[in-house]
Amino acid sequence: MLNIKAIIYVAAGVVVFGAAFGIGYALNTYYSPDLDPVQPINFSHKIHAGDNKIPCIYCHIYADRSRVSGVPNVQRCMGCHKIIKTDSPEIIKLTGYWERKEPIAWVKVHNLPDHVGFTHKRHIKAGLDCKLCHGDVASMSRVKRVSSLQMGWCLNCHEKREVVNGKDCWTCHQ
Amino acid sequence: MSIFSKVKDRLEDLRRPGYFKKYDHKFTMVIDLDRCNGCGACVSACYAENNLPVVGKEECGKSRALNWIRIERYVEGEYPDVKVKFIPVMCQHCSKAPCETACPVYATYHNQDGLNVQVYNRCVGTFTCATYCPYDARRFNWFTYKREKPLDQQYNPDVTVREMGIMEKGTFCIQRIRAAKDRAKDEKRALKDGDVTPACAQACPTGAMVFGDLNDPESRVSKLAKSPRRFRLLEELNTDPSVIYLKRVMKDGRGTSEE
Repeated sequence: MLNIKAIIYVAAGVVVFGAAFGIGYALNTYYSPDLDPVQPINFSHKIHAGDNKIPCIYCHIYADRSRVSGVPNVQRCMGCHKIIKTDSPEIIKLTGYWERKEPIAWVKVHNLPDHVGFTHKRHIKAGLDCKLCHGDVASMSRVKRVSSLQMGWCLNCHEKREVVNGKDCWTCHQ
Repeated sequence: MSIFSKVKDRLEDLRRPGYFKKYDHKFTMVIDLDRCNGCGACVSACYAENNLPVVGKEECGKSRALNWIRIERYVEGEYPDVKVKFIPVMCQHCSKAPCETACPVYATYHNQDGLNVQVYNRCVGTFTCATYCPYDARRFNWFTYKREKPLDQQYNPDVTVREMGIMEKGTFCIQRIRAAKDRAKDEKRALKDGDVTPACAQACPTGAMVFGDLNDPESRVSKLAKSPRRFRLLEELNTDPSVIYLKRVMKDGRGTSEE
């Protein structure tokens, strides 16, 4: 009698624990962002920044003078791709966007919450390399987020480099 | 003499509620009540700059308006010779702030600029700071207000849109201070007087509000702060506010704020 009860309790416990774990796992996967999302155009940083050695700032033009680094507009792509590799299927896709006069809906990989006042300008002017946060993008064919972008990760670097007022909340939060 | 002054300094240090021997800047606002005509431009400027929601008549009646700056008016005398006094009141950024001692989660603290700042992410909405504030400067978000589709383009991108359950208050437009510091750093110079202007001071049509750094002896603020008309709100509470008012002087030479 006691044994059956014990077995029932253990089984119930296992079911409840399993359900909780499953729900937690599902929620976690649902809410955690995709680290390397599929982009509308299979753009390769490896070809552009790696093989052909185009500097980051050539396309991300605002990086050293604004908060955001700036996603290049279609015109900037077409500046080269009117001539270069016009017959490749991805470039035909790009030309389609250009002819329809439609911006490309890139999926954001490095997405910061609304209350973070991160600025690219200050970090670039401080002489930091883009690789420090974005990883070696020049070797990625599809961009993958390598850093956690969490507050502790930011603060570690601020502490290590002894940033002036680097640990005050309102230096970054807004 | 020297020992006394040393002891006095030490006591002063101990009494300082901030954690800084000396602030980098001591941002201060001087409001000349002689110039204030109570138009309310500062209020609407604050609404526009800091993404404040307009809560509506009913919520206002429950004193849930989300104005960071308000104009208090006092009417003196009967109709023919009536005198109206206006005092713009915002967060006073007290150096010895009662709200900072009150917060259980350390969401409000003093930063190195002498500002009393509120960290929205830490705030859990216990309402304690609002109860402790003698100036009634703190505002609580009872609901989440979202602007409708075309109007959400009006939001200031440098300021968070606060959500329900968050205490908020005036910040002396800290985003502008940050931007001014950014600019100064680009030009490789120190922050100078007139670099930072909060939205209320910018909007003031009579120039009653002056904002600056009290640590800098040459700034407009430190010159104005030496004025004999100077007073601060509820100074007897020893909160040491950063907002300095200059008395309004009437025709008969009497200051109206002498109560």
